[in-house]
Amino acid sequence: MENEKILSVSDITRQIKGVLELGFPNILVQGEISNFKLHSSGHLYFTLKDEGAQISAVMWRSRVNQLLFRPTDGMKVIARGNISVYEPRGSYQLDCIQIQPLGVGELQQAFERLKKKLSEEGLFDEGHKKPLPEFPMRLGIVTSPTGAAIRDMISVLSRRMPAVEVLLVPVKVQGIGAAEEIAEAIDDLNELKSLDVIIVGRGGGSLEDLWAFNEEIVARAIFRSKIPIISAVGHEIDYSISDFVADLRAPTPSAAAELAVKHKNELIELIRNFCYTMSSSMENSISSRRQTVETLVHSYSFNRPQDLLRQRSQSVDELMRRLEQSVTHYFQFTKHNLQSLSTRIESLNPRLVLKRGYTIVKQHGKAVSSARLLEEKQEADIEFYDGRSIVKVEQKIFNTDVKKRK
Amino acid sequence: MSKKENKNNFENSLKRLEAIVDSLEQGEVSLEESLKMFEEGIRLSKECLETLGKAELTVKQLTKDLNGKFQQTEFEEQ
Repeated sequence: MENEKILSVSDITRQIKGVLELGFPNILVQGEISNFKLHSSGHLYFTLKDEGAQISAVMWRSRVNQLLFRPTDGMKVIARGNISVYEPRGSYQLDCIQIQPLGVGELQQAFERLKKKLSEEGLFDEGHKKPLPEFPMRLGIVTSPTGAAIRDMISVLSRRMPAVEVLLVPVKVQGIGAAEEIAEAIDDLNELKSLDVIIVGRGGGSLEDLWAFNEEIVARAIFRSKIPIISAVGHEIDYSISDFVADLRAPTPSAAAELAVKHKNELIELIRNFCYTMSSSMENSISSRRQTVETLVHSYSFNRPQDLLRQRSQSVDELMRRLEQSVTHYFQFTKHNLQSLSTRIESLNPRLVLKRGYTIVKQHGKAVSSARLLEEKQEADIEFYDGRSIVKVEQKIFNTDVKKRK
Repeated sequence: MSKKENKNNFENSLKRLEAIVDSLEQGEVSLEESLKMFEEGIRLSKECLETLGKAELTVKQLTKDLNGKFQQTEFEEQ
């Protein structure tokens, strides 16, 4: 043992590291992904395995950003990379530069697997789908701010219904992280509580390009949304998981915009028809009521009161006649009374008394009815019925049997 | 999310208008009531047509600042 070289753990690890890292540069490894984990640091950690063995694998954040799809457990891939040794743990791992699905078929299988799983969970149930609003005025759109999709949708909406308001949430629509952004955008729009409908989508691309819309996190966000969602991913032939979960699938983003809003002319026409119907209904209503009134006027039931009215008016006539009569009577009575009154008044006329031999004695223009009031040694007028005479009062002789008048 | 918070005046107006038109067409309301409804209907029609007369689409974009607070800004097509 004396001649044998003793290595420290660090020495041997360093040597192994040298052998492994230099011995397997830029290798391609085929395997199935398991224990996939996207760390909050942005690095990917997973295990590649086949029937007989497994190897830890890592992909650093800077390379993750170039991934076009999200690797999922069970997906068969080909990873390009180097072997690296992590000395503190004495472990080796595949340091991936690039990961590719093992052909389109592999992505297709991942798609089918997720579709089956979510379908069984009830995420595609028709009963859960929300009806789209008939006349939405505020639209949320989740897509890339630079893609053809947003341009197309703005152009369709401007043409059909410029009265609506669009709120775009700009997101990445492909590559790692895209699904998270899309899901977050849907949640954010729900938090705003002011939208009538949301369109989620992007323009056409390869299956890898569209992959974000096939991810579980997006599917669940769509399912969670309280606001109805239209999914519009790629071209007419492309179906994504989000299409199945959404309340409505549109073949393209342009089509989504057309499905979301009615054409303004259609609505203007509708309102004009409403106005026309209202006017004619009012006219009908008034003319039918007029007719009803006319019918009533000629109807038995309306004429009966008229009969009653005639009866009444007859009795009024009767009353009037009676009233007139009484008035005439009254006047006749009054007239008679006046005549007798005037006769009586006439009989009181003193002139007539004078004719019978009486006279009126006046002094200072006033009649004197008592000897006591007559002033002695003064002149007095004696009025006869046919003239007067002026006399001088010489002496007053009182009747003793007449009491003094009060 | 309450329905009241997510108020769509245009849709409400149009739905109300539709209901008024139906009622008037059925002719089962009193003349006085139908005149009131007619006036309301004409007013709603005017409002809706005014809304539809808006010429330009409004496009805003929603972003969040570092504190997670929403911001809405005008969207410029690129």
